[in-house]
Amino acid sequence: MERKRKLVCETFNIKKKREELKGPASDLNPSHSPYPDFTEDPQEAVPYLCALFPRKLFNDTLPPLCLKHQLYSLIQDRTAVDRLLSSLQQKGELCLVQAGFDSDTFLVVMDQDLRRTAMANCDGGSRAQVVSKFLESSLFSPSKISYCREEVMQKHRFSDREITQLVRAGLFTVRDAGSWWLSVPGAGKFTTQFIKGRKALLSQISRSRYKEVLLTELATRKSPPALRLGMEYHIHDIIGAGLVDCVPTASGALLRLSDT
Amino acid sequence: MLGLLWARLCGLDNPVRLRRAEATRRVLSLDLNKDRDVERLHENGINTLDIDPVEGRYMLSGGADGIIVLYDLANLTKSPSYTCKAICKVGKSHPDMHKFSVETVQWYPHDTGIFTSSSFDKTLKTWDTNSLQLAEVFHFEGTVYSHHMSPLATKHSLIAVGTKGPKVQLCDLNSGSCSHILQGHRGEVLAVRWSPRYDYILATASADSKVKLWDVRKATGCLMTLDRHNGEKSKSSSETINTAHNGRVNGLCFTSDGLHLLTVGTDDRMRLWNSASGVNTLVNYGKVCNDSRKSVKFTVSEGCSPDFVFVPCDGTIALYTIYSGEKISVLRGHYDNVDCCVFQPQLQELYSGGKDCNVLAWVPAVREPVPDEDSAKSGSNRHLNPAFEDAWSSSEEEG
Repeated sequence: MERKRKLVCETFNIKKKREELKGPASDLNPSHSPYPDFTEDPQEAVPYLCALFPRKLFNDTLPPLCLKHQLYSLIQDRTAVDRLLSSLQQKGELCLVQAGFDSDTFLVVMDQDLRRTAMANCDGGSRAQVVSKFLESSLFSPSKISYCREEVMQKHRFSDREITQLVRAGLFTVRDAGSWWLSVPGAGKFTTQFIKGRKALLSQISRSRYKEVLLTELATRKSPPALRLGMEYHIHDIIGAGLVDCVPTASGALLRLSDT
Repeated sequence: MLGLLWARLCGLDNPVRLRRAEATRRVLSLDLNKDRDVERLHENGINTLDIDPVEGRYMLSGGADGIIVLYDLANLTKSPSYTCKAICKVGKSHPDMHKFSVETVQWYPHDTGIFTSSSFDKTLKTWDTNSLQLAEVFHFEGTVYSHHMSPLATKHSLIAVGTKGPKVQLCDLNSGSCSHILQGHRGEVLAVRWSPRYDYILATASADSKVKLWDVRKATGCLMTLDRHNGEKSKSSSETINTAHNGRVNGLCFTSDGLHLLTVGTDDRMRLWNSASGVNTLVNYGKVCNDSRKSVKFTVSEGCSPDFVFVPCDGTIALYTIYSGEKISVLRGHYDNVDCCVFQPQLQELYSGGKDCNVLAWVPAVREPVPDEDSAKSGSNRHLNPAFEDAWSSSEEEG
């Protein structure tokens, strides 16, 4: 209703003083700030989520990763998120990487971090040369999420064996005959933990009464042992992926398992 | 509203503005109304609806039982309550009725004398409305999922047909035969749409999760395949792996100006594309439930100032703003899945049909009467000094 009214006002160009007065007040309301460190600034969202990533868990072999849909839980406007990510991608600051377990899920990783881990992972090995060749060449650009045969083999002179090396090094995963997804070396370890954690958290919610739980209560609860990536990381995941519905209540957001 | 009317009266605004504002208000207040009803003649789910583009008065509906019904939407009874009457129908007794479910019906764009219908019985039929006789039949090898005629073309009268086979066929009404075959898809073609801006531009959506844009004058292939990632700017090399959705694409709709194209797929997403460049505009509508195996008919509003899109979503119709992707409201009323909806642009009414055999009419709410004190005040004001109406109006405008 509120949104409707706002739209009507916009089109009629009605200057409502009352609404203007109400504006800042409603911002101060308990509206939503369960994440005290997060400052409503979309630019901050990616670093904020990356900071939640437990690097210690994987002995620093993985770059800080977050998922694209986790951003939707921080920023309400999904279109803004998509456009922001796309612009950052074009600027070359971050890469989107296909997560592998679900074709609509993307990992967000900083360009710098990806380069560093890729080099560290094959340090000294025979693949180091190929990997560095790939990362240095103009072929590798953060704005691409997949590469195809013509481009890789003809324009940039990678041989079949070199591509195999890249796949072994974990920088490529096969998408289709003659095309490859960009990937993060060692992302499998992350995915395993991630799926296990998501399942644990969802089962915890489904066991609570009416399959719903207050966000604040969930955050302070003792997390199940399978939740190795951290409670908040997973909460952002399930909200963003639409696995739970967010119902605003007087005492903060209520997460209810969505029925579909 | 008064302010707008006044500005219009003085000539401060151009006519479009008032119309837009009122149209927007009416679309936002769409709801079921006890005074408006549509006669119920279908015994099975309703797959498709179409309102004639000339007068906006007659509506066709096609049902899963093969029946086609023609409704009169105009209320000429002078009473507020009205049940849209069926004028005629192609029913069980008609010798030429479709044997199986009717998937698409469409009016001839320039006249209500002809309409076309396509069905799962592998035919596309052209009808004479006035005598309700069959005029022409086209036979196909597979079941027909959808067909469309260009809404503005005057130089050709081609009907694009999407069937179970991967080839899109163009049937020429002038000659009564298939004139073109467009090859490129790998799965069944679930939706076809002509651009409302250019005569020869056609969009097709298929179960192989691709959406292709064609210029039917170009013989070699499609213009482009839409790519949801839009990473590669250098096309042609990667054309084969470009997918618009991750799942079947079963709905297509151009915006009313033809500059953008909306697609829905079974990955529960809706996407907005720039129809000239094929770039994904990255508007994110969130989850748009869709698990239909057939094509989904959704529609856009016309002449509102943020334009809206109406999408069937399980048993409801969701209303989104097109360019910002905000979910404005959900229209609940059907008892079962909604399959189609169609917008009447002149009166801002929405008609929807679903598996529950009902056609529901969504009518703008009547404007609430002005609060008493206000009207009393203004009335007395006007009564006292009609000469100063001017001053009163401007003060009203500010407040």
